Amino acid sequence: MRNDSSRTVVASSAAGWPRARVAKLTGLLALVVFVVAFPRMAADPFILSVGVIIMSYAVLATSWNFVGGFTGYISLGHASYSGLGGYATVLLILHTGVNPWLAMFLGGVIVALLAIPIGIASLRVRGASFVIVSIALVLILLLVFQSWGSFTGGSNGLRVPRPFGDEVLRPEQHERFFYLHAVLLAIAVLCWWLIDRSRFGTGLKAIREDEDKAQSLGVPTFAYKLVVFVISAFFTALGGGMYALWFGFLDPIFQFSILTGSYMVLMSLLGGIRNVFGPILGAVIVGYAMEFFKAQYGDTQIHLVALGVLLGIVVLFMPDGILPALRGLVIRFRPQATSIREVTQEELTRDATGSREESATDRGTGTKEEVSG
Amino acid sequence: MTTSKNFRIGALVAAAALTLSGCLSGSTGASGDDGEGPIQIGISLPLTGDFSEPGKGVQRGYEAWAAHVNQNGGLLGRQVELNILDDQSNADRVATDYEKLINQDGVDLVFGPFSTRLVVPAAQVAQDYGFLFVEPAGAAEEVFEQGFDNLFYAAPAIAEDHYNHLADEITALPPNQRPKTAAYAAMDDPFAQGTAYGLKNKLQDAGIRTVVDEVYPPNTTDFGSIAAKIADSRADIVVGGTQYQDAVNLIVALRQLGYQPDMAAFSTAPTNPEFPRAIGRQTEGILSPTGYTPEAKFPTNREFVEFYTERHGNEPNEDEANAWTTGQVVAAAVEAVGCANPDPECQQKLVDWLHNNEVDTVVGPLSWDKTGKPQGAHLIQQYVDGEIKIVLPDETKEADFIHPKPNW
Amino acid sequence: MTGSLLLQSLVLGVLLGGLYALLAAGLTLYFGVMRVVMIAHSAFLILAAYLAWYFSQQTGLDPLLSLVFTVPLFFGVGVVMQRLLISRLRPATLTMMSVLLTFSVALVIEGTLGFLFGGTHRRIQLPYAGTSFEIFGANIALVKLIAFGLAAIALAGLYVLLKFTPLGQALRATIQHPEAAQLVGINTDRVAGYGFGLGLATAAIGGTALALDSTIYPSLHWHWIGPLMAIIVVGGLGSIPGAAIAAMALGLGQSLLQIPLGTTWAQTFFYLALFATLMLHPQGFFGDRLAQRF
Repeated sequence: MRNDSSRTVVASSAAGWPRARVAKLTGLLALVVFVVAFPRMAADPFILSVGVIIMSYAVLATSWNFVGGFTGYISLGHASYSGLGGYATVLLILHTGVNPWLAMFLGGVIVALLAIPIGIASLRVRGASFVIVSIALVLILLLVFQSWGSFTGGSNGLRVPRPFGDEVLRPEQHERFFYLHAVLLAIAVLCWWLIDRSRFGTGLKAIREDEDKAQSLGVPTFAYKLVVFVISAFFTALGGGMYALWFGFLDPIFQFSILTGSYMVLMSLLGGIRNVFGPILGAVIVGYAMEFFKAQYGDTQIHLVALGVLLGIVVLFMPDGILPALRGLVIRFRPQATSIREVTQEELTRDATGSREESATDRGTGTKEEVSG
Repeated sequence: MTTSKNFRIGALVAAAALTLSGCLSGSTGASGDDGEGPIQIGISLPLTGDFSEPGKGVQRGYEAWAAHVNQNGGLLGRQVELNILDDQSNADRVATDYEKLINQDGVDLVFGPFSTRLVVPAAQVAQDYGFLFVEPAGAAEEVFEQGFDNLFYAAPAIAEDHYNHLADEITALPPNQRPKTAAYAAMDDPFAQGTAYGLKNKLQDAGIRTVVDEVYPPNTTDFGSIAAKIADSRADIVVGGTQYQDAVNLIVALRQLGYQPDMAAFSTAPTNPEFPRAIGRQTEGILSPTGYTPEAKFPTNREFVEFYTERHGNEPNEDEANAWTTGQVVAAAVEAVGCANPDPECQQKLVDWLHNNEVDTVVGPLSWDKTGKPQGAHLIQQYVDGEIKIVLPDETKEADFIHPKPNW
Repeated sequence: MTGSLLLQSLVLGVLLGGLYALLAAGLTLYFGVMRVVMIAHSAFLILAAYLAWYFSQQTGLDPLLSLVFTVPLFFGVGVVMQRLLISRLRPATLTMMSVLLTFSVALVIEGTLGFLFGGTHRRIQLPYAGTSFEIFGANIALVKLIAFGLAAIALAGLYVLLKFTPLGQALRATIQHPEAAQLVGINTDRVAGYGFGLGLATAAIGGTALALDSTIYPSLHWHWIGPLMAIIVVGGLGSIPGAAIAAMALGLGQSLLQIPLGTTWAQTFFYLALFATLMLHPQGFFGDRLAQRF
């Protein structure tokens, strides 16, 4: 299933199907109009600030999806790059006095450079080490930024100078940052889309579907993974830097938090990592759900349980995100398919045989037996 | 297939976002600044997460204060209503919470959250909307160096001044009794570290040598190595910049290594009612600064202790007292100025009044410098015969200062 | 720095290393049998510590007695978790998705503990908490020795089980070569379930040992998972002796580095070792072909 969906992308974009393109452009236009109009529609600055937060989530999740979506490598530690981006931006402003926006860009470049050795260490071997490094990196950065007080402000945190003057009141700041985040998001989405259509993107997706096969077909897997990883770190850092400029305060505990990273994963997976708009959809759903649950169920630890259960459900039952799951539901109610189980089984068999071709893991058979038995 | 999927996702995103903005704006402007009806007070507290224990203490204090005010005719003749949100011990959330309280719930006044780490982002929001910001728990020096002019700390002293009375006492000891070396261990937290370093600076100036100076991350649970260093240094006094659990662990680890100092001072932990249960009979002689004691003879304190004890069945702690104090401070300003609404003009009047006046509270008379820093020092308590008693300064003491401390 | 401080730190390092070794053995076992990075391992560790605390709180008995039911319970939970959750994942994406699945389990445990017991730091009151005895000028706390003994016994038990029992042979065969193991008639699915159960049983023992001499709180597991993951990579993913040796080495290293560097910077030692291993010797120092591929 996954194999033929990626083939369809190539085929349809080559053919240039005009009606679908019109539909797509209309959808995109509606989205843009909505984003432009949102600050006008927001009833008060609080809603606008929630809008900024969700926009920031969308930027971070889309940035995460460069690695997660293209290569299938799940990084739980992308908070490292957003946190580093925030700190790099603010430290540059404080120590060199450069323009905040230039500092943000330079911060992104610095983080991208740092991501090269990290990527080399974590991508040389397969997924397990990548995950471990991604988590370890958050923990080590938390320690370093807490302890190195003379440079980073340590546990006292760091106050971020305002990029706009005092005459720009808080509600207007929210509005400006909402648009700025939207621009950043548009650039990230455009970049994702360009990679998606390129030869580079096809190679990356080959890695996602089967790394061994991709390698034997001559895809330079390591170099490809590294490049897309650095791009992802760059955009994540820009997102972190912009959020820091808006929020105005950096505290290592909240900057380098595994939970922040896991929200990026949840948003992307929930929306669907194979689609350029998936992470954005996920960010809107999760961001809204968080506000909603907090308003409804206030002061209990249950929000962690909810996050855990939601993530578990997504992983177990709809690892491709909401849209494929919805489509599955439609298929289920079509007359020729009597049960969802048959579809699942069919897919599983195909997956299992697909992967058994060269890197046979007998657990594939095991899974199949579980389902049928 | 994929192309039309893109479109559908785009539409779905737009639809979801529309619903979102619709739903969120549902309940706008609860009270507004109509000047009638109850006075709404917005508060965000860590009711879950890492700071939830003290956060709940502050909540009890605020609620007791509000109940007390309402029983006695309210504020400016209006009842007081608290609107408390949970910030989950998270800085991002605390800012969003105040944003919501001020913009959507239309509160008339705000009170501060708990923990130094959350005060700065919250104060920023309050400052941007021109609100007065009196807070019960942002004690570190750094809070007052951020240039906020709307911020007031409702307690006698900032963290660095907590041990002032103890420092005076030590430097006044006769030379043969005076400690010569000191070991410091502090949690990497602006408040905890501030208390220990405040004392360290004063003792170093008095010529007492620092032999160990350790900082540990807030999540540390294994104190074996830190204790080994302190025990190995044989320092005459040990000072812990601690919160609660870390002090307990450190003391147990020090005892495991057979270290016996002449003086042991820890911030916060010994005043916790759980502390003697956790340490057992070995608490004797342990020192701790406190900003509050139920026995204090300040005019309003007896009323507070009685009211609180009746409500909860036990005497209030420092967290509850600081919250009550916050209420008292804001109430004094509101009564004096005669307004309580979100209008920046009214809020500015409240701020100005507090900068220029002294307020009588359950922790004593409070006044502030222009950064909002209170101008006092903490009392020093010590475990004497198994009970924590005030030993310093002399004029308020309940028992005599024990030195050197008995073995633990 | 004096000689006695050095000796004291060595002793503390060994005592800490023992606990790390047991826990890392469990973590690497999951990886060996299933290629699963079990993020929830340390969350189960904290869960066991809470059960020990709650047990001694309610009954007034020694927390060590809670092992009688936590170990079988955790073994059962491990088997069930493998059969019901992990084995449902698609084999092609098993490693990545299992990370997320176990991560979500960790969040559920943390949230539930927070919901039931609050964020308060808990500590078991033991009459012998401060007891210690002196050997060559180094003080050894009784509780730390008990914890170490518990870890050593459990680790030895695990070794005997893997080396000398049919189940152990099946487990080792599954770790080394799953296809071949299946060809010789080993039911690798069932074996993987038992492997999971054994891994969780180590968390039960480790958690009880931890609860003896440390405060516990719901989010403590993040503090443990990082060092443990560093250990299993340094030791070679899937290699149990490798994990044990690396745990001892890193535990000692951390303890000794605390003397010159202080607590915070000494903690970074684990992560530096992790990065150095991946840069220089990605299969770890005791791993085999298995580690190289992941």
